[in-house]
Amino acid sequence: MMEETRTEPTARKPTRDLLGLILAGTSGVLIIFALGMALVYAPRELTMGNVQRIFYFHVASAWVGFFGFFVTFLAGIAYLATGKRRWDILGLSSVEVGLTFIAMTVVTGALWARPVWGTYWTWEPRLTISALQLLIYVAYGMLRASITGSERRARFAAVYGIVAFVTVPLSWFAIRWWRTIHPDILTGGDSMTVTPRMVQTLVVSIGAFTALYATLVRQRVRLERADDALTRLRLRVDERQSRLKSRRSG
Amino acid sequence: MNFLRKVLAIVEKDIAAELHTKEVVSAMLVFSALASLIFSFALDLRGDVAEAAAPGVLWTTIAFAGTLGLSRSMAREEQTGCIDGLLLAPVDRTAIFLGKALGNVIFMAIVEIFLLPLFSVFFDVALLRPQVLLVLSLGTLGYAAVGTLLATIAVNTRAREVMLPVLLLPLAVPVLIGAVQATSGLLEGATLNQVSGWIRILVVYDLVILAVSLLTFDYVVQE
Amino acid sequence: MSVYLVAAYAVFWAFTSIFVLSLWARQRRIEQEIESLEAQLSDD
Repeated sequence: MMEETRTEPTARKPTRDLLGLILAGTSGVLIIFALGMALVYAPRELTMGNVQRIFYFHVASAWVGFFGFFVTFLAGIAYLATGKRRWDILGLSSVEVGLTFIAMTVVTGALWARPVWGTYWTWEPRLTISALQLLIYVAYGMLRASITGSERRARFAAVYGIVAFVTVPLSWFAIRWWRTIHPDILTGGDSMTVTPRMVQTLVVSIGAFTALYATLVRQRVRLERADDALTRLRLRVDERQSRLKSRRSG
Repeated sequence: MNFLRKVLAIVEKDIAAELHTKEVVSAMLVFSALASLIFSFALDLRGDVAEAAAPGVLWTTIAFAGTLGLSRSMAREEQTGCIDGLLLAPVDRTAIFLGKALGNVIFMAIVEIFLLPLFSVFFDVALLRPQVLLVLSLGTLGYAAVGTLLATIAVNTRAREVMLPVLLLPLAVPVLIGAVQATSGLLEGATLNQVSGWIRILVVYDLVILAVSLLTFDYVVQE
Repeated sequence: MSVYLVAAYAVFWAFTSIFVLSLWARQRRIEQEIESLEAQLSDD
Protein backbone atom coordinates (compact mmCIF):
# COMPACT_ATOMS: atom_id res chain seq x y z
CA MET A 1 0.00 0.00 0.00
CA MET A 2 1.63 3.19 -1.19
CA GLU A 3 0.94 6.51 0.43
CA GLU A 4 0.99 9.37 -2.04
CA THR A 5 2.65 12.47 -0.67
CA ARG A 6 0.15 15.09 0.19
CA THR A 7 0.98 18.47 -1.25
CA GLU A 8 -1.87 20.32 0.49
CA PRO A 9 -2.72 19.99 4.15
CA THR A 10 -6.22 18.64 4.66
CA ALA A 11 -8.71 20.62 6.67
CA ARG A 12 -9.05 17.78 9.13
CA LYS A 13 -6.67 19.21 11.65
CA PRO A 14 -8.23 22.22 13.39
CA THR A 15 -5.92 24.75 11.77
CA ARG A 16 -5.20 27.71 13.97
CA ASP A 17 -6.37 30.58 11.84
CA LEU A 18 -4.56 33.47 13.45
CA LEU A 19 -5.50 35.98 10.81
CA GLY A 20 -9.14 34.98 11.06
CA LEU A 21 -9.12 35.39 14.80
CA ILE A 22 -7.50 38.80 14.61
CA LEU A 23 -10.04 39.94 12.03
CA ALA A 24 -12.94 38.61 14.05
CA GLY A 25 -11.68 40.26 17.21
CA THR A 26 -11.05 43.59 15.50
CA SER A 27 -14.43 43.70 13.84
CA GLY A 28 -16.15 42.68 17.05
CA VAL A 29 -14.60 45.56 18.93
CA LEU A 30 -15.22 48.05 16.14
CA ILE A 31 -18.85 47.00 15.73
CA ILE A 32 -19.54 47.49 19.40
CA PHE A 33 -17.81 50.85 19.24
CA ALA A 34 -19.82 51.85 16.18
CA LEU A 35 -23.06 50.73 17.80
CA GLY A 36 -22.34 52.84 20.83
CA MET A 37 -21.55 55.85 18.72
CA ALA A 38 -24.57 55.41 16.46
CA LEU A 39 -27.04 54.94 19.28
CA VAL A 40 -25.63 57.24 21.95
CA TYR A 41 -22.75 59.45 20.89
CA ALA A 42 -24.30 60.76 17.69
CA PRO A 43 -26.84 63.49 18.25
CA ARG A 44 -30.54 63.17 17.68
CA GLU A 45 -31.17 64.54 14.20
CA LEU A 46 -33.28 67.67 13.98
CA THR A 47 -35.87 66.78 11.37
CA MET A 48 -36.00 63.01 11.48
CA GLY A 49 -35.40 62.12 15.09
CA ASN A 50 -33.91 58.90 16.32
CA VAL A 51 -34.86 56.97 13.20
CA GLN A 52 -32.04 58.74 11.45
CA ARG A 53 -29.58 56.55 13.38
CA ILE A 54 -30.30 53.81 10.86
CA PHE A 55 -28.33 55.96 8.44
CA TYR A 56 -24.91 54.97 9.81
CA PHE A 57 -25.24 51.24 9.32
CA HIS A 58 -27.25 51.74 6.14
CA VAL A 59 -24.51 53.80 4.48
CA ALA A 60 -21.76 51.59 5.92
CA SER A 61 -23.32 48.46 4.45
CA ALA A 62 -23.84 50.25 1.13
CA TRP A 63 -20.17 51.09 1.07
CA VAL A 64 -19.14 47.53 1.88
CA GLY A 65 -21.52 46.19 -0.77
CA PHE A 66 -19.78 48.29 -3.37
CA PHE A 67 -16.35 47.50 -1.98
CA GLY A 68 -17.07 43.80 -2.23
CA PHE A 69 -17.87 44.33 -5.88
CA PHE A 70 -14.59 46.13 -6.35
CA VAL A 71 -12.68 43.26 -4.76
CA THR A 72 -14.43 40.80 -7.09
CA PHE A 73 -13.40 43.02 -10.00
CA LEU A 74 -9.76 42.92 -8.92
CA ALA A 75 -9.93 39.19 -8.22
CA GLY A 76 -11.35 38.67 -11.70
CA ILE A 77 -8.45 40.49 -13.29
CA ALA A 78 -6.01 38.55 -11.15
CA TYR A 79 -7.61 35.26 -12.14
CA LEU A 80 -7.50 36.01 -15.86
CA ALA A 81 -3.88 37.09 -15.51
CA THR A 82 -2.65 34.14 -13.43
CA GLY A 83 -5.20 31.35 -13.78
CA LYS A 84 -4.83 30.53 -10.08
CA ARG A 85 -7.83 29.13 -8.23
CA ARG A 86 -7.21 31.32 -5.19
CA TRP A 87 -8.40 34.42 -7.08
CA ASP A 88 -11.55 32.68 -8.16
CA ILE A 89 -12.19 31.75 -4.52
CA LEU A 90 -11.68 35.36 -3.47
CA GLY A 91 -14.08 36.54 -6.17
CA LEU A 92 -16.91 34.24 -5.22
CA SER A 93 -16.40 34.83 -1.50
CA SER A 94 -16.50 38.59 -1.95
CA VAL A 95 -19.73 38.26 -3.93
CA GLU A 96 -21.43 36.19 -1.26
CA VAL A 97 -20.45 38.53 1.53
CA GLY A 98 -21.14 41.62 -0.56
CA LEU A 99 -24.57 40.27 -1.41
CA THR A 100 -25.36 39.96 2.29
CA PHE A 101 -24.38 43.56 2.91
CA ILE A 102 -26.22 44.90 -0.11
CA ALA A 103 -29.37 43.08 0.97
CA MET A 104 -28.94 44.71 4.35
CA THR A 105 -28.58 48.09 2.64
CA VAL A 106 -31.81 47.73 0.73
CA VAL A 107 -33.84 46.54 3.70
CA THR A 108 -32.52 49.15 6.14
CA GLY A 109 -33.01 51.78 3.47
CA ALA A 110 -36.65 50.84 3.19
CA LEU A 111 -37.01 50.82 6.99
CA TRP A 112 -35.54 54.30 7.10
CA ALA A 113 -37.63 55.63 4.24
CA ARG A 114 -40.96 54.55 5.68
CA PRO A 115 -41.06 56.69 8.85
CA VAL A 116 -39.24 59.62 7.28
CA TRP A 117 -40.98 59.88 3.92
CA GLY A 118 -44.05 57.71 4.35
CA THR A 119 -43.14 55.18 1.71
CA TYR A 120 -41.04 52.04 1.83
CA TRP A 121 -39.37 52.70 -1.45
CA THR A 122 -37.91 55.89 -2.84
CA TRP A 123 -35.89 56.11 -6.01
CA GLU A 124 -33.16 57.70 -3.99
CA PRO A 125 -29.83 57.24 -5.81
CA ARG A 126 -28.04 55.25 -3.11
CA LEU A 127 -30.97 52.91 -2.61
CA THR A 128 -31.49 52.49 -6.33
CA ILE A 129 -27.86 51.70 -7.07
CA SER A 130 -27.87 49.23 -4.17
CA ALA A 131 -30.89 47.46 -5.57
CA LEU A 132 -29.15 47.33 -8.94
CA GLN A 133 -25.98 45.91 -7.39
CA LEU A 134 -28.11 43.34 -5.62
CA LEU A 135 -29.43 42.16 -8.97
CA ILE A 136 -25.95 42.06 -10.47
CA TYR A 137 -24.65 40.04 -7.52
CA VAL A 138 -27.51 37.59 -7.99
CA ALA A 139 -26.80 37.40 -11.72
CA TYR A 140 -23.17 36.57 -10.92
CA GLY A 141 -24.29 33.80 -8.61
CA MET A 142 -26.71 32.42 -11.18
CA LEU A 143 -23.99 32.47 -13.81
CA ARG A 144 -21.64 30.48 -11.60
CA ALA A 145 -24.36 27.98 -10.76
CA SER A 146 -25.14 27.53 -14.42
CA ILE A 147 -21.69 26.52 -15.64
CA THR A 148 -20.20 23.08 -15.41
CA GLY A 149 -16.45 22.78 -15.26
CA SER A 150 -14.57 24.74 -12.65
CA GLU A 151 -12.06 26.30 -15.02
CA ARG A 152 -14.72 27.69 -17.34
CA ARG A 153 -16.81 28.82 -14.39
CA ALA A 154 -13.90 30.76 -12.94
CA ARG A 155 -13.08 32.33 -16.28
CA PHE A 156 -16.60 33.41 -17.16
CA ALA A 157 -17.31 34.62 -13.66
CA ALA A 158 -14.11 36.68 -13.74
CA VAL A 159 -15.10 38.30 -17.04
CA TYR A 160 -18.61 39.03 -15.82
CA GLY A 161 -17.31 40.45 -12.56
CA ILE A 162 -15.04 42.79 -14.49
CA VAL A 163 -17.60 43.98 -17.02
CA ALA A 164 -20.35 44.32 -14.43
CA PHE A 165 -18.22 46.37 -12.10
CA VAL A 166 -17.21 48.96 -14.70
CA THR A 167 -20.86 49.67 -15.43
CA VAL A 168 -21.70 50.41 -11.81
CA PRO A 169 -20.11 53.89 -11.56
CA LEU A 170 -21.74 54.78 -14.88
CA SER A 171 -25.10 53.60 -13.60
CA TRP A 172 -24.52 55.60 -10.43
CA PHE A 173 -24.00 58.84 -12.35
CA ALA A 174 -26.91 58.15 -14.65
CA ILE A 175 -29.22 57.49 -11.70
CA ARG A 176 -27.96 60.58 -9.88
CA TRP A 177 -28.60 62.86 -12.83
CA TRP A 178 -31.93 61.24 -13.42
CA ARG A 179 -32.97 62.03 -9.85
CA THR A 180 -31.64 65.58 -10.08
CA ILE A 181 -33.84 66.25 -13.09
CA HIS A 182 -36.82 64.33 -11.75
CA PRO A 183 -36.67 64.60 -7.97
CA ASP A 184 -39.21 62.64 -6.09
CA ILE A 185 -42.00 65.04 -5.21
CA LEU A 186 -42.61 63.14 -2.01
CA THR A 187 -39.08 62.88 -0.76
CA GLY A 188 -37.16 65.65 -2.43
CA GLY A 189 -33.86 64.02 -1.53
CA ASP A 190 -31.88 63.92 1.70
CA SER A 191 -32.56 66.81 4.03
CA MET A 192 -30.36 65.98 6.97
CA THR A 193 -28.43 68.48 8.99
CA VAL A 194 -24.97 66.99 9.43
CA THR A 195 -22.78 67.62 12.45
CA PRO A 196 -19.13 66.61 13.03
CA ARG A 197 -20.21 63.93 15.50
CA MET A 198 -22.33 62.33 12.83
CA VAL A 199 -19.41 62.31 10.43
CA GLN A 200 -17.20 60.63 13.04
CA THR A 201 -19.86 58.01 13.73
CA LEU A 202 -20.21 57.35 10.02
CA VAL A 203 -16.46 56.91 9.56
CA VAL A 204 -16.25 54.46 12.48
CA SER A 205 -19.26 52.56 11.15
CA ILE A 206 -17.70 52.23 7.74
CA GLY A 207 -14.45 51.04 9.32
CA ALA A 208 -16.27 48.52 11.47
CA PHE A 209 -18.25 47.13 8.56
CA THR A 210 -15.14 46.87 6.39
CA ALA A 211 -13.46 44.84 9.14
CA LEU A 212 -16.55 42.67 9.36
CA TYR A 213 -16.48 42.20 5.60
CA ALA A 214 -12.83 41.09 5.76
CA THR A 215 -13.65 38.63 8.55
CA LEU A 216 -16.55 37.09 6.66
CA VAL A 217 -14.63 36.88 3.40
CA ARG A 218 -11.79 35.13 5.16
CA GLN A 219 -14.18 32.54 6.60
CA ARG A 220 -15.84 32.00 3.25
CA VAL A 221 -12.46 31.55 1.58
CA ARG A 222 -11.49 28.92 4.16
CA LEU A 223 -14.79 27.17 3.60
CA GLU A 224 -14.18 27.01 -0.14
CA ARG A 225 -10.65 25.70 0.34
CA ALA A 226 -11.99 23.00 2.64
CA ASP A 227 -14.52 22.13 -0.04
CA ASP A 228 -11.72 21.85 -2.59
CA ALA A 229 -9.81 19.54 -0.24
CA LEU A 230 -12.94 17.44 0.14
CA THR A 231 -13.34 17.17 -3.62
CA ARG A 232 -9.75 16.03 -4.00
CA LEU A 233 -10.28 13.50 -1.23
CA ARG A 234 -13.40 12.13 -2.87
CA LEU A 235 -11.42 11.71 -6.06
CA ARG A 236 -8.76 9.67 -4.26
CA VAL A 237 -11.37 7.46 -2.65
CA ASP A 238 -13.00 6.85 -6.03
CA GLU A 239 -9.64 6.08 -7.62
CA ARG A 240 -8.79 3.61 -4.90
CA GLN A 241 -12.15 1.88 -5.17
CA SER A 242 -11.90 1.50 -8.92
CA ARG A 243 -8.35 0.17 -8.53
CA LEU A 244 -9.54 -2.42 -6.02
CA LYS A 245 -12.40 -3.40 -8.27
CA SER A 246 -10.15 -3.92 -11.28
CA ARG A 247 -7.72 -5.90 -9.15
CA ARG A 248 -10.49 -8.22 -8.03
CA SER A 249 -11.92 -8.77 -11.46
CA GLY A 250 -8.57 -8.89 -13.21
CA MET B 1 -6.43 47.44 -43.32
CA ASN B 2 -6.21 43.68 -43.31
CA PHE B 3 -7.84 43.78 -39.89
CA LEU B 4 -10.77 45.80 -41.15
CA ARG B 5 -11.26 43.37 -43.98
CA LYS B 6 -11.41 40.46 -41.56
CA VAL B 7 -14.02 42.27 -39.47
CA LEU B 8 -16.12 43.03 -42.51
CA ALA B 9 -15.79 39.46 -43.71
CA ILE B 10 -17.32 38.25 -40.48
CA VAL B 11 -20.12 40.80 -40.72
CA GLU B 12 -20.74 39.71 -44.29
CA LYS B 13 -20.95 36.07 -43.24
CA ASP B 14 -23.47 36.86 -40.52
CA ILE B 15 -25.64 38.94 -42.80
CA ALA B 16 -25.48 36.34 -45.54
CA ALA B 17 -26.55 33.63 -43.10
CA GLU B 18 -29.37 35.82 -41.91
CA LEU B 19 -30.56 36.68 -45.41
CA HIS B 20 -30.76 32.97 -46.03
CA THR B 21 -33.07 32.16 -43.13
CA LYS B 22 -34.27 35.60 -41.98
CA GLU B 23 -35.12 34.00 -38.66
CA VAL B 24 -33.41 36.44 -36.33
CA VAL B 25 -34.59 39.72 -37.74
CA SER B 26 -38.10 38.50 -38.38
CA ALA B 27 -38.41 37.33 -34.79
CA MET B 28 -37.14 40.68 -33.55
CA LEU B 29 -39.52 42.63 -35.79
CA VAL B 30 -42.58 40.66 -34.83
CA PHE B 31 -41.64 40.83 -31.18
CA SER B 32 -41.12 44.61 -31.29
CA ALA B 33 -44.46 45.21 -32.94
CA LEU B 34 -46.23 43.02 -30.40
CA ALA B 35 -44.38 44.57 -27.47
CA SER B 36 -45.32 48.09 -28.55
CA LEU B 37 -48.94 47.06 -28.83
CA ILE B 38 -48.95 45.36 -25.45
CA PHE B 39 -47.32 48.36 -23.81
CA SER B 40 -49.95 50.63 -25.32
CA PHE B 41 -52.77 48.48 -24.02
CA ALA B 42 -51.28 47.70 -20.64
CA LEU B 43 -50.30 51.27 -19.84
CA ASP B 44 -53.30 52.79 -21.61
CA LEU B 45 -51.08 55.07 -23.64
CA ARG B 46 -53.02 57.86 -25.24
CA GLY B 47 -52.41 61.53 -25.85
CA ASP B 48 -49.99 63.24 -23.50
CA VAL B 49 -49.28 60.08 -21.57
CA ALA B 50 -48.28 58.38 -24.79
CA GLU B 51 -45.90 61.16 -25.69
CA ALA B 52 -44.25 61.10 -22.27
CA ALA B 53 -43.95 57.33 -22.28
CA ALA B 54 -42.72 56.98 -25.86
CA PRO B 55 -38.95 57.08 -25.20
CA GLY B 56 -39.23 54.58 -22.38
CA VAL B 57 -41.44 52.18 -24.30
CA LEU B 58 -39.19 52.51 -27.34
CA TRP B 59 -36.05 51.63 -25.44
CA THR B 60 -37.63 48.85 -23.44
CA THR B 61 -38.80 47.31 -26.68
CA ILE B 62 -35.37 47.73 -28.24
CA ALA B 63 -33.71 46.21 -25.18
CA PHE B 64 -35.87 43.10 -25.18
CA ALA B 65 -35.82 42.68 -28.93
CA GLY B 66 -32.08 43.06 -28.65
CA THR B 67 -31.73 40.20 -26.19
CA LEU B 68 -33.81 38.08 -28.54
CA GLY B 69 -31.59 38.87 -31.49
CA LEU B 70 -28.36 38.43 -29.55
CA SER B 71 -29.41 35.08 -28.14
CA ARG B 72 -30.65 33.72 -31.43
CA SER B 73 -27.67 34.80 -33.48
CA MET B 74 -25.26 33.38 -30.89
CA ALA B 75 -27.25 30.16 -30.62
CA ARG B 76 -27.15 29.69 -34.37
CA GLU B 77 -23.41 30.31 -34.26
CA GLU B 78 -23.04 27.54 -31.73
CA GLN B 79 -25.35 25.12 -33.50
CA THR B 80 -23.52 25.37 -36.79
CA GLY B 81 -20.18 25.06 -35.07
CA CYS B 82 -19.24 28.25 -36.82
CA ILE B 83 -17.45 29.86 -33.94
CA ASP B 84 -15.11 26.90 -33.60
CA GLY B 85 -14.23 27.18 -37.24
CA LEU B 86 -13.49 30.85 -36.83
CA LEU B 87 -11.31 30.24 -33.82
CA LEU B 88 -9.25 27.65 -35.65
CA ALA B 89 -8.65 30.03 -38.52
CA PRO B 90 -5.82 32.52 -38.13
CA VAL B 91 -8.17 35.35 -37.27
CA ASP B 92 -7.51 37.81 -34.50
CA ARG B 93 -9.99 37.33 -31.65
CA THR B 94 -10.70 41.05 -31.54
CA ALA B 95 -11.69 40.93 -35.19
CA ILE B 96 -14.14 38.16 -34.39
CA PHE B 97 -15.65 40.15 -31.58
CA LEU B 98 -15.95 43.36 -33.60
CA GLY B 99 -17.38 41.47 -36.53
CA LYS B 100 -20.03 39.79 -34.42
CA ALA B 101 -20.84 42.96 -32.52
CA LEU B 102 -21.20 44.91 -35.74
CA GLY B 103 -23.48 42.23 -37.11
CA ASN B 104 -25.65 42.52 -34.03
CA VAL B 105 -25.70 46.31 -34.34
CA ILE B 106 -26.97 45.91 -37.88
CA PHE B 107 -29.71 43.53 -36.83
CA MET B 108 -30.80 45.92 -34.11
CA ALA B 109 -30.60 48.85 -36.53
CA ILE B 110 -32.95 47.09 -38.93
CA VAL B 111 -35.46 46.68 -36.14
CA GLU B 112 -35.05 50.30 -35.08
CA ILE B 113 -35.58 51.55 -38.63
CA PHE B 114 -38.85 49.69 -38.50
CA LEU B 115 -39.78 50.89 -35.03
CA LEU B 116 -39.10 54.61 -35.37
CA PRO B 117 -41.77 55.45 -37.94
CA LEU B 118 -44.15 53.09 -36.17
CA PHE B 119 -43.66 54.92 -32.90
CA SER B 120 -43.77 58.32 -34.52
CA VAL B 121 -47.21 57.53 -35.82
CA PHE B 122 -48.71 55.67 -32.87
CA PHE B 123 -47.30 57.86 -30.13
CA ASP B 124 -47.44 61.08 -32.12
CA VAL B 125 -43.83 62.00 -31.47
CA ALA B 126 -41.16 63.38 -33.78
CA LEU B 127 -38.60 60.62 -33.62
CA LEU B 128 -37.20 60.83 -37.12
CA ARG B 129 -34.72 63.57 -36.36
CA PRO B 130 -30.93 63.38 -36.64
CA GLN B 131 -30.41 64.15 -32.96
CA VAL B 132 -32.68 61.30 -31.93
CA LEU B 133 -30.92 59.04 -34.43
CA LEU B 134 -27.60 59.97 -32.85
CA VAL B 135 -28.84 58.94 -29.41
CA LEU B 136 -30.25 55.77 -30.91
CA SER B 137 -26.95 54.86 -32.53
CA LEU B 138 -24.88 55.51 -29.42
CA GLY B 139 -27.20 53.45 -27.29
CA THR B 140 -27.43 50.59 -29.77
CA LEU B 141 -23.66 50.41 -30.11
CA GLY B 142 -23.03 50.04 -26.40
CA TYR B 143 -25.90 47.64 -25.92
CA ALA B 144 -24.86 45.42 -28.80
CA ALA B 145 -21.22 45.41 -27.72
CA VAL B 146 -21.83 44.30 -24.15
CA GLY B 147 -24.60 42.04 -25.42
CA THR B 148 -22.27 40.24 -27.81
CA LEU B 149 -19.76 39.57 -25.06
CA LEU B 150 -22.39 38.35 -22.62
CA ALA B 151 -24.23 36.31 -25.24
CA THR B 152 -21.00 34.43 -25.94
CA ILE B 153 -20.82 33.64 -22.23
CA ALA B 154 -24.51 32.83 -21.89
CA VAL B 155 -24.58 30.35 -24.73
CA ASN B 156 -22.05 28.25 -22.81
CA THR B 157 -24.18 27.91 -19.71
CA ARG B 158 -26.73 25.26 -18.84
CA ALA B 159 -29.57 27.78 -19.00
CA ARG B 160 -28.19 29.01 -22.33
CA GLU B 161 -30.04 31.90 -23.96
CA VAL B 162 -32.28 32.37 -20.94
CA MET B 163 -29.23 33.54 -19.01
CA LEU B 164 -28.61 36.51 -21.31
CA PRO B 165 -31.32 38.92 -20.12
CA VAL B 166 -30.32 38.24 -16.52
CA LEU B 167 -26.70 39.07 -17.26
CA LEU B 168 -27.28 41.89 -19.72
CA LEU B 169 -30.07 44.08 -18.43
CA PRO B 170 -28.50 45.24 -15.13
CA LEU B 171 -25.37 46.18 -17.04
CA ALA B 172 -27.35 48.13 -19.62
CA VAL B 173 -28.81 50.57 -17.09
CA PRO B 174 -26.58 53.49 -18.12
CA VAL B 175 -27.69 53.05 -21.73
CA LEU B 176 -31.34 52.74 -20.82
CA ILE B 177 -31.40 55.77 -18.54
CA GLY B 178 -29.13 57.86 -20.78
CA ALA B 179 -30.91 57.10 -24.03
CA VAL B 180 -34.41 57.50 -22.61
CA GLN B 181 -33.59 60.76 -20.86
CA ALA B 182 -31.81 62.19 -23.88
CA THR B 183 -34.66 61.21 -26.21
CA SER B 184 -37.17 62.59 -23.74
CA GLY B 185 -35.37 65.89 -23.57
CA LEU B 186 -35.07 66.11 -27.34
CA LEU B 187 -38.77 65.41 -27.78
CA GLU B 188 -39.58 68.18 -25.34
CA GLY B 189 -37.67 70.58 -27.54
CA ALA B 190 -34.23 70.61 -25.94
CA THR B 191 -31.17 71.13 -28.09
CA LEU B 192 -28.40 68.58 -28.43
CA ASN B 193 -26.30 70.78 -26.20
CA GLN B 194 -28.85 70.67 -23.44
CA VAL B 195 -28.92 66.89 -23.35
CA SER B 196 -25.13 66.70 -23.74
CA GLY B 197 -24.77 65.24 -20.24
CA TRP B 198 -26.72 62.17 -21.27
CA ILE B 199 -24.88 61.94 -24.57
CA ARG B 200 -21.64 62.02 -22.66
CA ILE B 201 -22.74 59.09 -20.49
CA LEU B 202 -23.59 57.10 -23.61
CA VAL B 203 -20.24 57.87 -25.24
CA VAL B 204 -18.26 57.01 -22.10
CA TYR B 205 -20.25 53.81 -21.71
CA ASP B 206 -19.60 52.82 -25.31
CA LEU B 207 -15.87 53.45 -25.01
CA VAL B 208 -15.50 51.66 -21.68
CA ILE B 209 -17.58 48.68 -22.78
CA LEU B 210 -15.72 48.37 -26.06
CA ALA B 211 -12.38 48.48 -24.28
CA VAL B 212 -13.34 45.92 -21.66
CA SER B 213 -15.01 43.62 -24.19
CA LEU B 214 -11.99 43.67 -26.49
CA LEU B 215 -9.70 42.91 -23.59
CA THR B 216 -11.75 40.06 -22.16
CA PHE B 217 -13.30 38.42 -25.24
CA ASP B 218 -10.17 36.38 -25.72
CA TYR B 219 -10.68 34.76 -22.33
CA VAL B 220 -14.29 33.95 -23.11
CA VAL B 221 -13.61 32.03 -26.30
CA GLN B 222 -10.40 30.27 -25.34
CA GLU B 223 -10.95 26.56 -24.83
CA MET C 1 -37.59 54.50 20.49
CA SER C 2 -38.75 54.08 16.94
CA VAL C 3 -39.80 50.58 15.96
CA TYR C 4 -38.13 51.11 12.60
CA LEU C 5 -34.82 51.83 14.30
CA VAL C 6 -35.06 48.59 16.26
CA ALA C 7 -36.10 46.69 13.16
CA ALA C 8 -33.17 48.06 11.15
CA TYR C 9 -30.60 47.01 13.73
CA ALA C 10 -32.35 43.68 14.12
CA VAL C 11 -31.97 43.25 10.36
CA PHE C 12 -28.26 43.88 10.66
CA TRP C 13 -27.84 41.28 13.38
CA ALA C 14 -30.14 38.80 11.65
CA PHE C 15 -28.40 38.93 8.26
CA THR C 16 -24.93 38.77 9.78
CA SER C 17 -25.82 35.93 12.14
CA ILE C 18 -27.59 33.87 9.50
CA PHE C 19 -24.59 34.22 7.21
CA VAL C 20 -22.10 33.30 9.92
CA LEU C 21 -24.20 30.34 11.03
CA SER C 22 -24.56 29.05 7.49
CA LEU C 23 -20.79 29.27 7.02
CA TRP C 24 -20.25 27.43 10.28
CA ALA C 25 -22.76 24.70 9.43
CA ARG C 26 -21.27 24.14 5.98
CA GLN C 27 -17.76 24.06 7.41
CA ARG C 28 -18.73 21.44 9.94
CA ARG C 29 -20.41 19.27 7.35
CA ILE C 30 -17.33 19.39 5.14
CA GLU C 31 -14.94 18.64 7.98
CA GLN C 32 -17.03 15.66 9.05
CA GLU C 33 -17.05 14.22 5.57
CA ILE C 34 -13.31 14.75 5.26
CA GLU C 35 -12.78 12.86 8.49
CA SER C 36 -14.89 9.92 7.41
CA LEU C 37 -13.24 9.75 3.98
CA GLU C 38 -9.76 9.86 5.44
CA ALA C 39 -10.74 7.08 7.80
CA GLN C 40 -11.88 5.08 4.77
CA LEU C 41 -8.58 5.63 3.03
CA SER C 42 -6.47 4.59 5.98
CA ASP C 43 -8.58 1.48 6.49
CA ASP C 44 -7.71 0.00 3.09
